[in-house]
Amino acid sequence: MTDDAGNLSIDFLAGFTIFMVALIYVATLIPGLFIGLQSRTIDYDAVAYRTGVILAEDPGQPSNPSWEAPYTDPSTILRFGLALSKDTPNILSTAKINSFFCSTEFVYPNDYQSRAVFGDYPYQFNISLQIAGDNYTRSVGDILPEGYGYSRRVVKIKETSNATIGLAQIQQYYWSNETNLTYAPETHIFSIYLNCTNLAENGPDYNNPAYQINPIDPLGEGVVINLTDLDQTTCESTASQKFHPPSGCNGGSQPTINLSSISIYQSRPLPEGTGRAWSQIIPSTNHATYEVYIDGGTTPYNSTESTEFPVNVTNNVSLFIFPASLNSWSFGDPNSDLNITMQFELSHGDWFLNSTKNQPDGAFEYNYDPANVSQPYLRDGVMEVAVW
Amino acid sequence: MVKDDGQLYTIEGVAAGMIMLFTAYLVLGATSVYTPGDTHISDMQIEQTGTDALRMMNTQVNGTSGTSPLHDIIYNNGASGFNGPEFNTLFLNYVNNRTGSETDDLHYSASVTYYDINNRTTESLPLTSNRNLTGGEHPVRVTEWVIVNKQFPGTNLVENRSVLVEVLLWRD
Repeated sequence: MTDDAGNLSIDFLAGFTIFMVALIYVATLIPGLFIGLQSRTIDYDAVAYRTGVILAEDPGQPSNPSWEAPYTDPSTILRFGLALSKDTPNILSTAKINSFFCSTEFVYPNDYQSRAVFGDYPYQFNISLQIAGDNYTRSVGDILPEGYGYSRRVVKIKETSNATIGLAQIQQYYWSNETNLTYAPETHIFSIYLNCTNLAENGPDYNNPAYQINPIDPLGEGVVINLTDLDQTTCESTASQKFHPPSGCNGGSQPTINLSSISIYQSRPLPEGTGRAWSQIIPSTNHATYEVYIDGGTTPYNSTESTEFPVNVTNNVSLFIFPASLNSWSFGDPNSDLNITMQFELSHGDWFLNSTKNQPDGAFEYNYDPANVSQPYLRDGVMEVAVW
Repeated sequence: MVKDDGQLYTIEGVAAGMIMLFTAYLVLGATSVYTPGDTHISDMQIEQTGTDALRMMNTQVNGTSGTSPLHDIIYNNGASGFNGPEFNTLFLNYVNNRTGSETDDLHYSASVTYYDINNRTTESLPLTSNRNLTGGEHPVRVTEWVIVNKQFPGTNLVENRSVLVEVLLWRD
């Protein structure tokens, strides 16, 4: 007779073994198991918040010259930031926005992960910006999934200044007459003068960067100059009769107007206060530093390297000088003065457009006088950051 | 005769146990539970939006205006109350705007607090609201200091004073 006392049942052995294996396995997985018991979005929300703060409150790195400047080497960009300066949180720079959302300038996702989102984990994200008055939304990133971390920032966007010089200003300041001339000339010069020291140091609201017109880095802003009503300033045009010298007209037909050149002059103070010396800067005529639009055209006249002046003008000329261009022309020197000169040639002598009567330096001064220049202003916007 | 010693009778039980373990693992791994501690995230997001909105309202639009829209709202409203629509329109526009076509749906109740130097007390005046607080909401509080040259109830002088704009903000 077989005595089964002291034997272990094979059922018990099998069950106990499976139980122990399962217990050990579950015990090792406990940390992973309980990840699901907290919100999945905690980490994503934190990353979205951090990215939103970086973009809305930080000017980025490098900051002077700024990371979006065309002469900044992209490999040296450490951090994107859209704020104008560290002193103006939530007020964003238009130039930085345009650069940040430019798909040809930076590549999604790598450039953005390492400079805006950060972290070892390769987060996916979508960053969007809606500016009041625009009928489109700027965005970079992937399509949003079901669940994601989220941050929203209410911001303002600085719109840079511009000047429109039309018949009213030309009549008011007698810009159709040239100084000390008794005859109507064929060549006319109109200059725009920028005193960089004044612009950088005497802005409104205690020189708040949000309202400055500052062509020098780190803001390095551009300007827009519109010359309009050019067909009404000549002697033959009816509207201009009252401000032309009655004997000055050659009579006859309306002259053909040609914009023959755009020149940039820069000056710095000479040593020991002995005056200033002007030197000519020769910018490229292509559209890398500025664009010139003729008679309301939608493509810039200087769209190619081979662009040459003169160009025929009927009514208006618009000059868009890009951010950082003025800074380049002034060599980043805040004591610089700049003179942007447009020269016109008429088919026959006439009174037309000339700034030589004006002071300083015979030019229209681009300054903080709202009668001369439409000052910078802030537009509302909202920025959303989604991370998953 | 075949004996049943050493037979594994409970193969069904073993299989069922393993299935149960596997199921429990899947369920635990797939469930996301919204714990009370997570509410601070949505609170923080609302607080951030409200703080940004008040800051932008207290920023002048250009360098020549001299004062901000929030300053103008407090300055121009009557001394006994601020029931004009300007704050409501502007504030809701800021806090409800999103980048897409959908808008948010936040509600608020705002007040202005100032110091009454005669009675040496802090007084509050209701500013405006788009919904009354019933007690069941879970609002966050956002504030902005505004300097305004104005006489407030209980004060004698028209002088520059700092007043605190306080907004309770919530989502249904």
